[in-house]
Amino acid sequence: MSTARRRALLLGCVVAAVAVVAALLASGLRHDPSDTASPLVGRPAPQFRLDGLDGPPVALSDLRGKVAVINFWASWCAECHTEQPALNATWDRFRGSGVVVLGIDFEDNEADARHYVAGEGSDYPVVVDPQSRTALAFGVRGVPETFVVDQQGRIVERVIGAVDEDRLTATISRLLREDTR
Amino acid sequence: MSAVRRPPVRPSLGLLTLGLVGCGLVALLVVAVRGEPRPQSRSAQVHQIAAQLRCPVCDDLSVADSPAPLAAQMRQQIADDLAAGRTPDQIRQRFVAAYGDSVLLTPPHHGVGQVAYLLPALVLGVGVVCAVLLLRGWLRAAGPGGRGAEADGRRGEPGEPGGHGAQEGEGGQGDDGGEPARGAAVQGSPRLSAADRRSLQRALARLREEEQ
Repeated sequence: MSTARRRALLLGCVVAAVAVVAALLASGLRHDPSDTASPLVGRPAPQFRLDGLDGPPVALSDLRGKVAVINFWASWCAECHTEQPALNATWDRFRGSGVVVLGIDFEDNEADARHYVAGEGSDYPVVVDPQSRTALAFGVRGVPETFVVDQQGRIVERVIGAVDEDRLTATISRLLREDTR
Repeated sequence: MSAVRRPPVRPSLGLLTLGLVGCGLVALLVVAVRGEPRPQSRSAQVHQIAAQLRCPVCDDLSVADSPAPLAAQMRQQIADDLAAGRTPDQIRQRFVAAYGDSVLLTPPHHGVGQVAYLLPALVLGVGVVCAVLLLRGWLRAAGPGGRGAEADGRRGEPGEPGGHGAQEGEGGQGDDGGEPARGAAVQGSPRLSAADRRSLQRALARLREEEQ
């Protein structure tokens, strides 16, 4: 191989290597690290047993056999106010059909949480999560965040941000249909 | 034929390259064998693990550096897990199980993350190959009958057979800066290698010498 050809080959290799690294860096810069699918979807939900804000404690095992809509929220969270009507409506519609809506209060103080619940007219169970241990186990990045858990205790959907009532209804209806087959 | 003067050999640059590559390999080996230093105190252990985790609610801050309440809860959980006897790897895996690989500030050792670990080794390998090729080229140029010797021959006494200047000096050195001048006899023979061309040129020079 002539020197000129060898040098052209070497130059080509260097240019190709630089192009590969630049492409990797560019894709990394455009990628939002927080925008990732939860690795928990399709897996069993993390176990928890949390004290109620005003009611009895609730454990994941208590929800076995039911569809659970587990919503992480806080009184200081503006978007939580936005989604509250959808959660209330879902609870009202499905509460007698083997569906539980459970609110988990996230990084909040209990007085503010009680005030929020009273103000929003929510009557589904609400629990507190001291030290955010359950939120960490669910991989929560902020509030609101909602997980739909099927009758076998498996997470089937995760919603980051305010839930959409129609989407929630569709998921719950599908799980109830599948359970009756 | 005049005595062929050997050009100055430049092995020092090649040796320097090889030396640098060797140092890099030794450094990599030392880091690989020693691994990360073990912190002594519990808080230092917590900090070391937290520094390897991305705060989930921050923009590119580690759990160790973030002032966010969730990061503080994560540090507390790390401390509690260490107290419970979990290893740093088990603790990291717990967060990975909940948040995915994106919670790690260092790339994972599988999937696309492997590129970050393989690329330096690949670059090192390419560097070694380049260094060896360069060294071979220099040694060949410095050897007898090499490019250096020919270049020296071209600079020979006027009228000497070895001095190609009279016949081939017009072409000078090739564009690649190292090829011997291509005389009329060589042009039109693109299939000849550089070594063949040099042999041909020497044979032609001998023929001309005998004719004179």
